[in-house]
Amino acid sequence: MQMNGGASGSELQSEINITPLVDVVLVLLIIFMVVVPLLLKGYDANIARTSTDGPPAQSAETQVVLSLGATACPILQPPIGDGLPAACRVSLAGQEIAVADLGARVAEIMSPRPVDGRVLFLAADPRLNYEAVLRIVDLAKSGVDDLTIEFTTTD
Amino acid sequence: MRLGEPARLQAAINITPLVDVVLVLLIIFMVMAPEMRKGPDVNLPNTAKPREQGDERGRILVTLDQTGGLWIDDQPIAAEEFGDALRAAAGDKPDPKVVIRGDARLRIGDVRLAMAAIEDAGFRGVGLIAKRTGAEAGGE
Repeated sequence: MQMNGGASGSELQSEINITPLVDVVLVLLIIFMVVVPLLLKGYDANIARTSTDGPPAQSAETQVVLSLGATACPILQPPIGDGLPAACRVSLAGQEIAVADLGARVAEIMSPRPVDGRVLFLAADPRLNYEAVLRIVDLAKSGVDDLTIEFTTTD
Repeated sequence: MRLGEPARLQAAINITPLVDVVLVLLIIFMVMAPEMRKGPDVNLPNTAKPREQGDERGRILVTLDQTGGLWIDDQPIAAEEFGDALRAAAGDKPDPKVVIRGDARLRIGDVRLAMAAIEDAGFRGVGLIAKRTGAEAGGE
Protein backbone atom coordinates (compact mmCIF):
# COMPACT_ATOMS: atom_id res chain seq x y z
CA MET A 1 0.00 0.00 0.00
CA GLN A 2 1.29 3.40 -0.88
CA MET A 3 1.63 5.57 2.17
CA ASN A 4 2.00 8.96 0.60
CA GLY A 5 -0.84 9.17 -1.86
CA GLY A 6 -1.11 8.43 -5.53
CA ALA A 7 1.26 11.19 -6.63
CA SER A 8 4.50 9.34 -5.95
CA GLY A 9 3.78 6.29 -8.05
CA SER A 10 7.35 5.93 -9.17
CA GLU A 11 8.48 3.76 -6.26
CA LEU A 12 8.19 0.02 -6.43
CA GLN A 13 6.09 -1.56 -3.70
CA SER A 14 8.14 -4.13 -1.89
CA GLU A 15 5.90 -5.11 1.05
CA ILE A 16 3.70 -8.15 0.94
CA ASN A 17 0.03 -7.24 0.72
CA ILE A 18 -1.55 -8.92 3.76
CA THR A 19 -5.06 -7.58 3.23
CA PRO A 20 -6.42 -10.63 1.35
CA LEU A 21 -4.90 -12.85 4.01
CA VAL A 22 -6.66 -10.89 6.74
CA ASP A 23 -9.96 -11.08 4.85
CA VAL A 24 -9.72 -14.83 4.46
CA VAL A 25 -8.85 -15.29 8.14
CA LEU A 26 -11.81 -13.13 9.20
CA VAL A 27 -14.17 -15.13 7.02
CA LEU A 28 -12.85 -18.39 8.49
CA LEU A 29 -13.39 -16.94 11.95
CA ILE A 30 -16.99 -16.13 11.04
CA ILE A 31 -17.59 -19.62 9.69
CA PHE A 32 -16.32 -21.25 12.87
CA MET A 33 -18.30 -18.88 15.05
CA VAL A 34 -21.49 -19.81 13.20
CA VAL A 35 -20.85 -23.54 13.37
CA VAL A 36 -19.77 -23.92 16.99
CA PRO A 37 -23.03 -22.90 18.74
CA LEU A 38 -24.98 -25.25 16.47
CA LEU A 39 -23.11 -28.25 17.81
CA LEU A 40 -24.87 -29.48 20.90
CA LYS A 41 -23.41 -32.25 23.00
CA GLY A 42 -25.23 -34.76 25.11
CA TYR A 43 -26.41 -38.33 25.51
CA ASP A 44 -28.84 -40.39 23.48
CA ALA A 45 -31.52 -42.01 25.58
CA ASN A 46 -34.76 -43.88 25.04
CA ILE A 47 -37.82 -44.59 27.09
CA ALA A 48 -38.25 -48.31 27.58
CA ARG A 49 -41.31 -49.53 25.72
CA THR A 50 -44.11 -50.90 27.83
CA SER A 51 -45.17 -54.49 27.31
CA THR A 52 -48.35 -53.49 25.45
CA ASP A 53 -46.33 -52.03 22.58
CA GLY A 54 -45.02 -55.39 21.46
CA PRO A 55 -42.53 -58.01 22.49
CA PRO A 56 -39.69 -56.81 24.71
CA ALA A 57 -36.40 -56.24 22.95
CA GLN A 58 -34.54 -58.49 25.36
CA SER A 59 -35.52 -61.34 27.61
CA ALA A 60 -35.45 -60.94 31.37
CA GLU A 61 -32.23 -62.97 31.72
CA THR A 62 -30.10 -60.88 29.38
CA GLN A 63 -31.26 -57.40 30.28
CA VAL A 64 -29.04 -55.41 32.58
CA VAL A 65 -30.71 -52.99 34.95
CA LEU A 66 -28.93 -50.15 36.67
CA SER A 67 -30.94 -49.04 39.69
CA LEU A 68 -30.38 -45.72 41.38
CA GLY A 69 -32.06 -45.43 44.76
CA ALA A 70 -32.54 -42.31 46.80
CA THR A 71 -31.19 -43.94 49.97
CA ALA A 72 -28.11 -45.72 48.54
CA CYS A 73 -27.18 -42.68 46.47
CA PRO A 74 -28.69 -39.54 48.01
CA ILE A 75 -28.14 -37.04 45.21
CA LEU A 76 -31.27 -34.93 45.47
CA GLN A 77 -29.46 -31.64 44.79
CA PRO A 78 -27.06 -30.82 41.96
CA PRO A 79 -23.65 -32.25 42.93
CA ILE A 80 -21.11 -29.69 44.05
CA GLY A 81 -18.01 -29.56 41.88
CA ASP A 82 -17.16 -32.27 39.35
CA GLY A 83 -17.93 -35.94 39.64
CA LEU A 84 -20.20 -37.65 42.12
CA PRO A 85 -20.14 -38.12 45.89
CA ALA A 86 -17.96 -41.13 46.77
CA ALA A 87 -20.63 -42.47 49.13
CA CYS A 88 -23.01 -43.05 46.24
CA ARG A 89 -23.72 -46.73 45.64
CA VAL A 90 -25.68 -48.05 42.69
CA SER A 91 -27.16 -51.44 41.89
CA LEU A 92 -26.02 -52.97 38.60
CA ALA A 93 -27.65 -56.27 37.57
CA GLY A 94 -28.61 -56.93 41.19
CA GLN A 95 -25.16 -56.24 42.63
CA GLU A 96 -24.51 -53.17 44.71
CA ILE A 97 -21.30 -51.44 43.69
CA ALA A 98 -19.63 -48.10 44.35
CA VAL A 99 -20.37 -45.56 41.63
CA ALA A 100 -16.66 -45.23 40.89
CA ASP A 101 -16.56 -48.85 39.67
CA LEU A 102 -19.55 -48.41 37.39
CA GLY A 103 -17.68 -47.72 34.16
CA ALA A 104 -15.45 -50.78 34.51
CA ARG A 105 -18.33 -53.09 35.50
CA VAL A 106 -20.55 -51.96 32.60
CA ALA A 107 -17.65 -52.43 30.19
CA GLU A 108 -17.06 -55.93 31.57
CA ILE A 109 -20.69 -56.93 31.06
CA MET A 110 -21.31 -55.21 27.72
CA SER A 111 -18.04 -55.69 25.81
CA PRO A 112 -18.64 -59.35 24.82
CA ARG A 113 -22.08 -58.50 23.45
CA PRO A 114 -22.88 -57.50 19.87
CA VAL A 115 -23.51 -53.78 19.44
CA ASP A 116 -27.29 -54.09 19.22
CA GLY A 117 -27.34 -56.07 22.48
CA ARG A 118 -25.61 -53.36 24.46
CA VAL A 119 -28.64 -52.00 26.24
CA LEU A 120 -28.60 -50.67 29.78
CA PHE A 121 -31.93 -50.16 31.52
CA LEU A 122 -31.79 -47.27 33.91
CA ALA A 123 -34.27 -47.32 36.78
CA ALA A 124 -33.72 -44.10 38.69
CA ASP A 125 -35.70 -42.85 41.65
CA PRO A 126 -37.71 -39.92 40.23
CA ARG A 127 -36.58 -37.64 43.05
CA LEU A 128 -32.91 -37.85 42.07
CA ASN A 129 -31.22 -34.84 40.55
CA TYR A 130 -31.03 -34.71 36.75
CA GLU A 131 -27.43 -33.55 36.57
CA ALA A 132 -26.25 -36.32 38.90
CA VAL A 133 -28.11 -38.96 36.87
CA LEU A 134 -26.54 -37.65 33.66
CA ARG A 135 -23.11 -37.99 35.27
CA ILE A 136 -23.92 -41.60 36.11
CA VAL A 137 -25.00 -42.12 32.48
CA ASP A 138 -21.70 -40.59 31.43
CA LEU A 139 -19.80 -43.05 33.65
CA ALA A 140 -21.76 -45.99 32.31
CA LYS A 141 -21.07 -44.95 28.72
CA SER A 142 -17.39 -44.23 29.35
CA GLY A 143 -16.23 -47.85 29.23
CA VAL A 144 -18.04 -49.17 26.16
CA ASP A 145 -19.00 -47.85 22.73
CA ASP A 146 -22.55 -47.72 21.38
CA LEU A 147 -24.29 -48.32 24.67
CA THR A 148 -28.03 -47.69 24.47
CA ILE A 149 -29.67 -46.22 27.55
CA GLU A 150 -33.32 -47.07 28.18
CA PHE A 151 -35.07 -45.11 30.89
CA THR A 152 -37.47 -47.27 32.84
CA THR A 153 -39.41 -46.95 36.06
CA THR A 154 -38.23 -48.05 39.46
CA ASP A 155 -40.96 -50.65 39.95
CA MET B 1 -2.04 -1.54 -8.09
CA ARG B 2 0.27 -3.15 -10.54
CA LEU B 3 3.94 -3.51 -9.82
CA GLY B 4 6.44 -2.15 -12.29
CA GLU B 5 4.11 0.40 -13.80
CA PRO B 6 5.16 3.70 -12.35
CA ALA B 7 3.57 7.13 -12.64
CA ARG B 8 -0.06 6.15 -12.91
CA LEU B 9 -2.76 7.63 -10.75
CA GLN B 10 -5.03 5.20 -9.04
CA ALA B 11 -8.65 6.10 -9.76
CA ALA B 12 -10.62 3.29 -8.09
CA ILE B 13 -11.82 3.69 -4.53
CA ASN B 14 -10.01 1.38 -2.15
CA ILE B 15 -12.82 -0.69 -0.63
CA THR B 16 -10.62 -2.95 1.49
CA PRO B 17 -10.95 -0.95 4.75
CA LEU B 18 -14.70 -0.80 4.17
CA VAL B 19 -14.87 -4.58 3.80
CA ASP B 20 -12.80 -5.05 6.94
CA VAL B 21 -15.05 -2.79 8.98
CA VAL B 22 -18.17 -4.52 7.69
CA LEU B 23 -16.74 -7.94 8.53
CA VAL B 24 -15.87 -6.84 12.04
CA LEU B 25 -19.39 -5.44 12.52
CA LEU B 26 -20.79 -8.74 11.28
CA ILE B 27 -18.70 -10.60 13.85
CA ILE B 28 -19.85 -8.28 16.63
CA PHE B 29 -23.50 -8.84 15.79
CA MET B 30 -23.03 -12.57 15.51
CA VAL B 31 -21.50 -12.65 18.97
CA MET B 32 -24.35 -10.59 20.38
CA ALA B 33 -27.18 -12.50 18.70
CA PRO B 34 -27.18 -15.61 20.94
CA GLU B 35 -27.22 -13.38 24.03
CA MET B 36 -30.31 -11.61 22.82
CA ARG B 37 -32.21 -14.81 22.12
CA LYS B 38 -35.42 -14.65 24.07
CA GLY B 39 -35.51 -18.30 25.02
CA PRO B 40 -35.47 -19.60 28.55
CA ASP B 41 -32.43 -19.41 30.75
CA VAL B 42 -31.09 -22.90 31.37
CA ASN B 43 -28.20 -24.18 33.46
CA LEU B 44 -27.09 -27.19 31.48
CA PRO B 45 -25.75 -30.14 33.46
CA ASN B 46 -21.97 -30.53 33.47
CA THR B 47 -20.64 -33.95 32.60
CA ALA B 48 -17.27 -35.38 31.70
CA LYS B 49 -17.69 -36.57 28.10
CA PRO B 50 -20.92 -35.63 26.30
CA ARG B 51 -21.18 -36.86 22.70
CA GLU B 52 -21.90 -34.81 19.60
CA GLN B 53 -25.60 -34.51 18.89
CA GLY B 54 -25.52 -33.72 15.19
CA ASP B 55 -26.22 -30.37 13.60
CA GLU B 56 -29.27 -28.20 13.35
CA ARG B 57 -30.92 -29.95 10.40
CA GLY B 58 -33.83 -32.05 11.59
CA ARG B 59 -33.28 -31.06 15.18
CA ILE B 60 -36.17 -30.07 17.42
CA LEU B 61 -35.02 -28.28 20.52
CA VAL B 62 -37.14 -28.94 23.59
CA THR B 63 -36.19 -26.96 26.68
CA LEU B 64 -37.18 -27.81 30.23
CA ASP B 65 -36.59 -24.84 32.49
CA GLN B 66 -35.99 -24.90 36.21
CA THR B 67 -39.70 -24.88 37.05
CA GLY B 68 -40.47 -27.70 34.62
CA GLY B 69 -41.91 -25.38 31.96
CA LEU B 70 -41.75 -26.71 28.39
CA TRP B 71 -40.37 -24.80 25.42
CA ILE B 72 -40.11 -25.88 21.80
CA ASP B 73 -37.54 -24.00 19.74
CA ASP B 74 -37.58 -21.18 22.30
CA GLN B 75 -41.38 -20.78 22.32
CA PRO B 76 -43.22 -21.55 25.58
CA ILE B 77 -45.72 -24.40 25.20
CA ALA B 78 -48.49 -25.50 27.56
CA ALA B 79 -48.16 -29.12 28.66
CA GLU B 80 -51.50 -30.17 27.13
CA GLU B 81 -50.55 -28.83 23.68
CA PHE B 82 -47.07 -30.29 23.81
CA GLY B 83 -47.62 -33.35 21.59
CA ASP B 84 -49.36 -31.40 18.82
CA ALA B 85 -46.80 -28.60 18.95
CA LEU B 86 -44.01 -31.12 18.71
CA ARG B 87 -45.49 -32.77 15.62
CA ALA B 88 -46.04 -29.32 14.10
CA ALA B 89 -42.40 -28.43 14.78
CA ALA B 90 -41.28 -31.66 13.13
CA GLY B 91 -43.35 -30.79 10.06
CA ASP B 92 -41.88 -32.53 7.08
CA LYS B 93 -38.33 -32.72 8.33
CA PRO B 94 -36.91 -35.92 6.90
CA ASP B 95 -35.32 -37.33 10.04
CA PRO B 96 -36.45 -35.34 13.07
CA LYS B 97 -34.47 -35.74 16.24
CA VAL B 98 -35.66 -34.32 19.52
CA VAL B 99 -33.07 -33.00 21.94
CA ILE B 100 -33.84 -31.90 25.48
CA ARG B 101 -32.04 -29.04 27.15
CA GLY B 102 -32.93 -29.72 30.74
CA ASP B 103 -31.96 -27.56 33.68
CA ALA B 104 -29.42 -29.15 36.02
CA ARG B 105 -31.62 -28.46 39.04
CA LEU B 106 -34.52 -30.56 37.76
CA ARG B 107 -35.38 -33.95 39.13
CA ILE B 108 -34.91 -36.92 36.83
CA GLY B 109 -38.63 -37.71 37.22
CA ASP B 110 -39.56 -34.42 35.50
CA VAL B 111 -37.20 -35.12 32.61
CA ARG B 112 -38.54 -38.65 32.30
CA LEU B 113 -42.10 -37.29 32.04
CA ALA B 114 -41.02 -35.02 29.19
CA MET B 115 -39.28 -37.95 27.50
CA ALA B 116 -42.46 -40.01 27.83
CA ALA B 117 -44.49 -37.16 26.29
CA ILE B 118 -42.04 -36.98 23.38
CA GLU B 119 -42.29 -40.74 22.93
CA ASP B 120 -46.10 -40.52 22.98
CA ALA B 121 -45.96 -37.87 20.26
CA GLY B 122 -44.31 -40.45 18.02
CA PHE B 123 -40.58 -39.71 18.31
CA ARG B 124 -38.18 -42.51 19.16
CA GLY B 125 -35.28 -41.60 21.35
CA VAL B 126 -34.08 -38.21 22.52
CA GLY B 127 -30.76 -36.52 23.14
CA LEU B 128 -30.17 -35.16 26.62
CA ILE B 129 -27.99 -32.09 26.23
CA ALA B 130 -25.13 -31.46 28.61
CA LYS B 131 -21.99 -29.43 28.50
CA ARG B 132 -18.52 -30.68 29.08
CA THR B 133 -17.12 -29.93 32.52
CA GLY B 134 -14.84 -26.92 32.27
CA ALA B 135 -16.08 -25.81 28.84
CA GLU B 136 -17.19 -22.22 29.10
CA ALA B 137 -20.23 -22.33 26.86
CA GLY B 138 -19.65 -25.55 24.98
CA GLY B 139 -23.22 -26.76 25.11
CA GLU B 140 -24.92 -23.49 24.37
